[in-house]
Amino acid sequence: MRCAPTFRARPFVYLLTAVIALLAIDANSTWARVKLITLPVRERVEIQLDNPNATLVEEERVVPLVKGENQVDFSWANTQIDPNTIVFRVVGPAGNAAIDVKVLSVSYPPNESALVWAVGASDSGSARVRISYLLGNLTKSFNYRAVASHDEKTLVLSEYMRLANLANEDFSHTGLWAGFGPHFHKPIGLNETKELLVEKYQSVPIEKTYTCNPAEFDYIDRAQNKLRVPMHYVLKNDAAHQLGKAALPYGKVRIFIEGAGENALSSTAFLGEDWGKFTPKDGEMRLYVGVAQDIVVKRTIEKNQSKRVAGNLFNYDVVVKYEIENFKREPVTLDIAENLRHIRSEIRGETGREVDWELKGDTTFEGGPDAERSNAEKIVFHAKLPAADAHGKAQKITHKLHLTIKNEW
Amino acid sequence: MAQLNKSLRIVFVLVVAIGASLPAWASNIDLSTVPKRDSVQLTIYNSEDITLVRETRVVTFKKGINPLEFSWANTLIDPSSVDLKFVTSADKLEVEDTTFPHDKSQMLYWNVKSNFDGEATIQISYFTSGITWSADYTAIANTNETKLDLDGFVRVTNNSGEEYENAHVRLVVGTINLVEKIAELAKIPIGEVKQLNKEELGEFRRMAGRQAMDRVAIGGAMSPTSAPSEKEIFKEGLSEYFIYAIEGTETIPNGWSKRMRSFKGDGVPIKIQYRYRPQEYGDQLVRLYLTTNNKESELGTTPLPDGVVRVFRDNGRDGLSYLTQQSIKYVPIGERIELNLGSDPNVVFELTKQRASRDHVWMQVHGTNTFKEVGGDADVSEPNMSVVGWDDHGIYRQEIRNDTAKLIDVEIRRTFGGHVVFRSELNPKLHDYQTVEFTTQVAPGARKNLRYELVQHQGHNAKQNNVTLETAAVK
Repeated sequence: MRCAPTFRARPFVYLLTAVIALLAIDANSTWARVKLITLPVRERVEIQLDNPNATLVEEERVVPLVKGENQVDFSWANTQIDPNTIVFRVVGPAGNAAIDVKVLSVSYPPNESALVWAVGASDSGSARVRISYLLGNLTKSFNYRAVASHDEKTLVLSEYMRLANLANEDFSHTGLWAGFGPHFHKPIGLNETKELLVEKYQSVPIEKTYTCNPAEFDYIDRAQNKLRVPMHYVLKNDAAHQLGKAALPYGKVRIFIEGAGENALSSTAFLGEDWGKFTPKDGEMRLYVGVAQDIVVKRTIEKNQSKRVAGNLFNYDVVVKYEIENFKREPVTLDIAENLRHIRSEIRGETGREVDWELKGDTTFEGGPDAERSNAEKIVFHAKLPAADAHGKAQKITHKLHLTIKNEW
Repeated sequence: MAQLNKSLRIVFVLVVAIGASLPAWASNIDLSTVPKRDSVQLTIYNSEDITLVRETRVVTFKKGINPLEFSWANTLIDPSSVDLKFVTSADKLEVEDTTFPHDKSQMLYWNVKSNFDGEATIQISYFTSGITWSADYTAIANTNETKLDLDGFVRVTNNSGEEYENAHVRLVVGTINLVEKIAELAKIPIGEVKQLNKEELGEFRRMAGRQAMDRVAIGGAMSPTSAPSEKEIFKEGLSEYFIYAIEGTETIPNGWSKRMRSFKGDGVPIKIQYRYRPQEYGDQLVRLYLTTNNKESELGTTPLPDGVVRVFRDNGRDGLSYLTQQSIKYVPIGERIELNLGSDPNVVFELTKQRASRDHVWMQVHGTNTFKEVGGDADVSEPNMSVVGWDDHGIYRQEIRNDTAKLIDVEIRRTFGGHVVFRSELNPKLHDYQTVEFTTQVAPGARKNLRYELVQHQGHNAKQNNVTLETAAVK
């Protein structure tokens, strides 16, 4: 049997038990119902946020039952509860008396956000029940605040979870769990957004990288063949780098840097921000901080010579030259990445076929290509650049990449 | 407030007119009695929108012709399916004729010839639309994900326009064949139902009716117990179908639906497997719970009808984690149950093409049927040739990183079109002529790199359309 209509109009989730129900039929043959209803309050609420796409709410209530069959009415209004996901579990008796409680059936009334459990009890008493359901518009996101040390060797990474409650339901004292990190107990009011510090990682070593890759980052000055050189902070999500407790979820990372001297904190400056991609344990999070304008890389294709193999089949002898100047006062390592398809399209146009290439021995990069980061279509080298001298004059470093692009037609 | 709509739309009337036949009760002044339903049974099919309704009523007959009127205004009854039988005194009663009046589409008249004065139990059966049932499942894994509590439910929804009180409910699992939709038949007058279809449909309905009749006593024979308990759902195979009979009777008001547990599987053992099968699961490595619908797995009492499974896990913190929901197709007894939980963020699965090259390049001399291989008899001295065949070589590294706390089993299937050689030391097998399958295990916290070489014969070099497996080290 159902509850009185006054309860329906409120934007809350309701649980009612009809303890005594007297049924009568009026002159028009419609059901008139006189009932005594109890309103079991929430004893405990847990919001499980560990699923990336759904929010599970679990609430525990103590429901008074009489011996025999009871109607337990669960209704909601103006909230996005998926009724098909509702799970009703009897945790146990609420008092000392042991009563056997079973869910007999569930009935769904037409055109209402409600359902009615028929619950059988072996004796009169209270039962502790747990109701779980997926709730829409209660969403989470993650964001990070990273404060780098002045020397950019380490940073402090704070990971926040932002919970937005647009579910039209008030949760006064609620357990919250993101699937990792601490278990929070916080109230979340209607239309409230709450930001919680999930983890704070101290002294996280960072690798500061400078990378040029014409296919990905293009030129900063095409007329002068100067490549754009973005600077990244790279965080390794493992224990050796003070991380690795859990995967780092996708989220915006705001990056600051401490000032120098005694007022390091007060003179903290904003460096930039980037979207941190989902980073599993042992993975790398690369954060694009900004363009390094003190590192100048001029890239020219010095040689492009085709050689007929037979018929319409050609090999191409290609030399790419890099003239690099580091105007910084400290030495840096520059990552130079080339996409082989990009090079082929520059010298002869795209064919749609895989690039069959071979690195020639007179390529000048020390140590050869980075095997871990290179693959069939991408080749990565590291170039060590000395610091500029005391007058700011940079030493010009020249490297050459010598390739044969084979079997093209 | 939801109201129980008690308006009775199906009316059965005994027209009191001594010695009457059709002309008599067509007069303007009638006297009639309304025998009530004594019992009703619903047999609901889930593959089609069709329900067989059987109801019994006690009627007092007088010797001679007894006109009976049966009407079903605002319901979804198929008029061609309405059938009258005599449960008692069948040898003394006979249906003389059935008339569907031209001016009232949802009504019929029977003229019953009686050889005696007295009571008889009659049975009216018909098909209606609007009563449906569906199955769904709730699965809760234990914290270690070794066992699963799998509960099955059936949900009956009544949108037929009629309320069947205290009905014996039977649910049919299986796919039946209908030549016309009941909902469509319910909306057209009997005269417009094509004769051929009616005969075909009638034969099916008579057969289905007999099958349903044979088991009428199952639900009704159950007596209520003193302690409240869930209604049992009896399961029984029937031809190509399976029938669930709900204990006792049910009343489902029009517009309502009711959900009951159909089976309970506690502690169902599960295995976890990771699979990469892009044709089935998309381009991702997915995690699955695997079990079998048999007694060894604490199941096997019933096939699992099509339905949605909602999967949770005990999160070990006195709560549940929601994992996924998915639709499953009918699972016969003895068949495997596979629950796809989606990708696992704690397992990294990356394929890298490490090297690409070409060889065995063949050329055709222009205007001739002469073919020459580069590196052999084709050389730079002959410019009037074009490439017509070659082999593409690709060396791949399949990286699997397991950041979970358990050893994982991984199965990978990759499909390659064309004439392909798959070269590796992965001990692969062919799932089909163009799909390679290989498996591995990855220890907790470990990383595995599986390497293989793919040789794709292109153009003139392609002689087959299949994959050949070769065992060799990948350089």
